[in-house]
Amino acid sequence: MAEEAVISKRITSGRANVPIFLVLAVVATSIVYPLYFVIITSLRPNTDYLKDSFGLPGVWTFDNYVRLIEVYGVGQAFLNSLYVAVVTIVLVLILATLAGYALAKYPVPGAKYFTSIFVSLMLVPGAVLIIPTYVMLARLGLVGNYWGLILVYVSGALPFAVFFLSLSFRGIPVEVIEAARIDGAGFFRTLWSIIIPMGSSGIATLAVLQFLGVWNELLWALILIPEESMKLLTPTLASIGTRFLTDQPLVSAGLFITAVVPLLLLIFASKYIMQGLQVGVSR
Amino acid sequence: MTTAPLTSRVGVASAAPTGEGPSGKPRRPGTLQKKDRLIGFLAVLPAIVLVVAFSAYPIAFAFFISFTRTNGLVFEWRWLENYITMFNDPIVQQVFVNNLKYLIAIPLVIFIAVVVSVLLFERVRGWKFFRVVFFLPNVLSVAVIGIMFRNAFGYYGGVNQALGLFDVEPIQFFTDGNLAISIIVLALVWSGFGYMSLLLFAGLTAINPAVFEAAAIDGAGWWKRLWYITLPNIRRVLGFVFIINVIFTFTGLFGYVFVMTAGGPGYDTTTIDYLVYLRAFSSSNLGSGAALAVMLFLFIGVLTLMQAKVFKLQRED
Repeated sequence: MAEEAVISKRITSGRANVPIFLVLAVVATSIVYPLYFVIITSLRPNTDYLKDSFGLPGVWTFDNYVRLIEVYGVGQAFLNSLYVAVVTIVLVLILATLAGYALAKYPVPGAKYFTSIFVSLMLVPGAVLIIPTYVMLARLGLVGNYWGLILVYVSGALPFAVFFLSLSFRGIPVEVIEAARIDGAGFFRTLWSIIIPMGSSGIATLAVLQFLGVWNELLWALILIPEESMKLLTPTLASIGTRFLTDQPLVSAGLFITAVVPLLLLIFASKYIMQGLQVGVSR
Repeated sequence: MTTAPLTSRVGVASAAPTGEGPSGKPRRPGTLQKKDRLIGFLAVLPAIVLVVAFSAYPIAFAFFISFTRTNGLVFEWRWLENYITMFNDPIVQQVFVNNLKYLIAIPLVIFIAVVVSVLLFERVRGWKFFRVVFFLPNVLSVAVIGIMFRNAFGYYGGVNQALGLFDVEPIQFFTDGNLAISIIVLALVWSGFGYMSLLLFAGLTAINPAVFEAAAIDGAGWWKRLWYITLPNIRRVLGFVFIINVIFTFTGLFGYVFVMTAGGPGYDTTTIDYLVYLRAFSSSNLGSGAALAVMLFLFIGVLTLMQAKVFKLQRED
């Protein structure tokens, strides 16, 4: 990495970097400005917005947020989303760590078939699954129940999760595990004291990616949880967005509430997110 | 392009170019080996059971449903009736054409992604920061992106407010099908190019720097290097990006359509995946929706196989 940087610097040296910087800055502005606009708009009353949409607010207020939380149940929806996301991630991490470790370091009979099942089911579009899954969950009495939704999320996430973790566990040297096993450590002991600590970066990456996936998901959250008080954040936001077309500040506040958790994750865990997205691509 | 798509795209990304067999498995004497096989099997089992029950089985079930007339409780076997109805359905035809219109987003996304990744590769001051900024839309929900664009282009939205500064009458962006599609395409481009440029960037870093160095010594200018070295060397990644975008356009637009236009006016902005949803929850016959879903599944399957084949061929080069 460092060497590459030096070389490419050498190539570009003598060339003014200002134009490149400017183009990148313009593109970056087109990303950041709409978000800035949303945040500023969410902090002003509607009348103030309609008077002068682009200046700074004449009146600063948290009223939109308060109204969303107290009147439209956004606070509850936020907590519901958090609950579902956390449970999903814990389950995915447990199951994927077990399977990933086994596939990476154990002689699993039929490993080839398991791997190809995981790989081929990594990309099944939600549209293909909604009808059969809905019918199936309805029969099991799991529509309108978080467990139905969580099962769908977990099973949807597992193929990638197992694949990803078995890939990153493969890099852990066998000698370390062998040494522990000679000392009498079994599957769970080696998993706990070697694989998890040494693979922690991969596990953290997976946790962040899966959290984003579940937090942002809309289709399943919409169809599997019809109950108003149980609704997750994204369907709640969608219905607020379509109901209050004339109240942009209120909708903007809803947008920010939904976006703030992923944005914080991007700021504080961008290393993991970037890492996760580049797995395998650079080969 | 986000979230469920986010992780699933990541999935493709990592699935495609890897292909190594299991390695470094410990060899040990018979009984221990047998015990290890059992432990390994048991460790994989819960994951595989869940995935088969909630992904593989529903696919098979979708095939079954597509041959029946059903409300979800009673199934009447009707052979190919749903498929015949589907192929003669003008709405299905219209929706397919709509999907083709959305494909316009792909050259736009790829063009911007190429420009951005090549510029990032120059590693000017702050390039790491820019990379994170460009990636930003990818951590947002489609619900957020969709509503943000719907708001911005709504009657009271930022765009009309800006036009108002120049005394232009507010425009109704969502009452005309093609105009509405172009707004959705804009949202797709805005949210999609960052991740694609990340993929292309990874492709660029994989080019042997010595090639650039040699070209620079031979006096090739920046544009020449771009055209003769950089772009040919990332054509594999470009092809990959192209195909995952096609797949995404046919399967990943539900969220955008749902929050931005609800498929309207009429069916003018409805996509195939959105139509499956409509048929699933507003029609008395789930079979027709399932038939559509099965067709979509087969179509995506063919695309994925094509992609896998192309990559295999190129690896053998």
